[in-house]
Amino acid sequence: MKKLIALLLVAVLALGSMAALAAEPTVIKFAAQGDSTPATQAVIDAYNASQSAYKVEWVDMTNDSGAMREQLITTLKAGSSDYDVLSLDVVWAGEFAAAGYIQPLDMLMDEAGLKAEDYNAGSMASGAYSGKQYVMPFFPDLGMLFFRSDVVSAEDAAKLVSGDYTWADLQAMAEKYMGQGDTKDGFAFQSALYEGLVCNANEFTANWKDLKGGLEAMKAMIDSKATADNIMTYTEGETHNSFIKGESVFARNWPYMWGMIKSEGTIKPNQVGIAPLPGGSTVGGWLLAINKNSKNTEGAFDFIKYLNSEPGQIVMSQAYLPGYNAMLTNEEVVKNNELLSMEGFQNALKTTIARPVSAEYSKVSDALQQAIHAYLSGTGTVDDAVKAIETALAQ
Amino acid sequence: MPKRITWRQFLFVLPLLLLVSVFSLYPIFTSGVYSFFDYQTNDQTRNALYTEGHLNAPLFHEDGTYLNFYLKKDLSLVDETGQQTIAALQQDILEAISPYAEAKQPLALSGEGAKQVTAFVANIRQRVKDLENAYPDVELNISKSADSLLDEMDSTVVGSNFIGLEGYKRLGQDGRFFSALRNTLVFTIISVFFELLIGMGLALVMNRAVRGIGLVRTVSLIPWAIPTAVSALIWTYLYDGTSGIVARLFTQLGLIASPELLLTSASGTMAAAIIADVWKTTPYMALLLLAGLQVIDHGLYESASVDGAGPVRTFIRITLPLLKPSLLVALLFRTLDAFRVYDLIAVLTKGTPETLSIYAYKVMVGQGNYGYGAVIVLAMFVCVGLIALLYVKVLGAELINE
Repeated sequence: MKKLIALLLVAVLALGSMAALAAEPTVIKFAAQGDSTPATQAVIDAYNASQSAYKVEWVDMTNDSGAMREQLITTLKAGSSDYDVLSLDVVWAGEFAAAGYIQPLDMLMDEAGLKAEDYNAGSMASGAYSGKQYVMPFFPDLGMLFFRSDVVSAEDAAKLVSGDYTWADLQAMAEKYMGQGDTKDGFAFQSALYEGLVCNANEFTANWKDLKGGLEAMKAMIDSKATADNIMTYTEGETHNSFIKGESVFARNWPYMWGMIKSEGTIKPNQVGIAPLPGGSTVGGWLLAINKNSKNTEGAFDFIKYLNSEPGQIVMSQAYLPGYNAMLTNEEVVKNNELLSMEGFQNALKTTIARPVSAEYSKVSDALQQAIHAYLSGTGTVDDAVKAIETALAQ
Repeated sequence: MPKRITWRQFLFVLPLLLLVSVFSLYPIFTSGVYSFFDYQTNDQTRNALYTEGHLNAPLFHEDGTYLNFYLKKDLSLVDETGQQTIAALQQDILEAISPYAEAKQPLALSGEGAKQVTAFVANIRQRVKDLENAYPDVELNISKSADSLLDEMDSTVVGSNFIGLEGYKRLGQDGRFFSALRNTLVFTIISVFFELLIGMGLALVMNRAVRGIGLVRTVSLIPWAIPTAVSALIWTYLYDGTSGIVARLFTQLGLIASPELLLTSASGTMAAAIIADVWKTTPYMALLLLAGLQVIDHGLYESASVDGAGPVRTFIRITLPLLKPSLLVALLFRTLDAFRVYDLIAVLTKGTPETLSIYAYKVMVGQGNYGYGAVIVLAMFVCVGLIALLYVKVLGAELINE
């Protein structure tokens, strides 16, 4: 009798724990920055609803990219498995791969039948290191010019959209139109002492080809009345605050601002036009990678795979560009992302430029920032800056 | 002559000595060790302290697995002879890497072992090349990645990263270090000077027994009670180029050309940091000095006034000499604090002016270079020691001897 009871107990316990197993999906920790658009949360929710084996939890990281990188490195260096999926800025992937913090994905991709060439080339290339593919796209990004189509004349708008203008032209237009249509400033862009300064300088100098001319154009823009007095403290946040509230006529920013204009802008999308930038569009965006010490590699990759599949991309497209090339012409994606149907945006896509590629990117970027900032803030001459940039790029 | 202590007394002191060595001496010792190595956490060939050669076994295994992964895809692209060649290649790679399948850490490697690994990689490289030459018309998967994979395999054999005094030599030629040192000294000297001046005034006021002095003491301590990061944030609002009231005020007074310069120009950020630091830590200085003032015997002041000494003479002849111990402590604390300034500047301007702490942080955490970072930190340690020595020599020789 006793034996029977014991057996029954064991059976009940076993059943109970199996039920618990079925009900408790494996948690996948996803380290990503706070998203001012609803897309990231939406894609996580969609993934969690699409299957029951894994549950992705978003670990909210700081929106200061430099601080986020340091936080990730501190965690990964210690061999922590706190995060499974990492979102990485395009410029970090090489360093993280070289340091052995993230896993190569080729075998997983091969097993799943995914081909590297089907995804955004720039994003994939930024995470290809030593013959291995370490990343898949989260969302690709590129710098572009937003302008107020209700303020700028049709003639100037056409000139902007075609891309046939210079930084001096833009400054002249910014000075001409500022104040019109309830605006305060002419042009908002990023020139604080941080990574954004490198992206903007990359565009001003046409991918570091015209160093002196580009830097002088940048300083002229900062010193002109067309930019806010504190333009040298502007990051993306200040830029979008100014533009979506209708306070500036022109703004250089990433595509995410389009989503913000739609969801919370004082100005409406029909008041905004998109144009390529004179010196080319810096490629940016974020990548997805798997922590080398993750205990849930399979689940982590499953999430990455979903995000880069058709259903995942359609959810992401409410705010971001697709990283899966087939989706560039997907009806629903294009409908969600009017940018893809705009001529100015297509032109910007044709003139993308990369930031310096280096195993020690942070060192190069740091040197560039110091040199550019010294000149822009008036403590150094343009010739010193050019020399310092040339040295940094040669590393 | 200090008194000798007995064994039993020593036993009671022992726990304290152990604590000191664990929490004070050990970190200094570790930094010292780091400084002799080219220790960089984000570089797999240098991410630990290696005094002998070693093999990055996990990476060696991964690269080998990758070679076989591509070779397997090529099996179906070649004829039977090719398949045999590939199979042999796969077999040899597998044999070489399988001992490391479970390896999680780099393994020590003798010079002989290193030679074997290098020879193995060269052998595989040659055989892959032969394979490619045998099938010039076939687009082999291995061709795309073999070179970089084999290069990485070569890099898994790493020598010692002990560099001895190289790091210190580099410090001597590092312009950025000296500019950070200059910034730190300027910040320290100016801010401590003003803190002493204002703090002394504040302490003299607070020492008066008048009605409501308790309230004055409490209120004047508020800046010191606010966490530095929070007060730095408050100051960024005050200094802000478009809406900051201090920035506007300074512009109207003609101190700066335009309001945004306060947080963007080199001299502006230095001034901004000093003002915020003086505002924040003057109460602390005042508090330490007040404690010193309160132990001075009132009888001395009475005698002085009976002897007909004025307030200035009383201050110089009685207050200052008797305040010397407190003054030494207050100045020493504040100077060392100011010398290590990090949080205020990190929040206020995200790192300008660049002080030694900020530079060390950028090198260590930003660039992952713990070896050179340790050299900078030890240089700071030496500076701090020199400052303390200077104060004791100038202000308090007899204090220590007593």
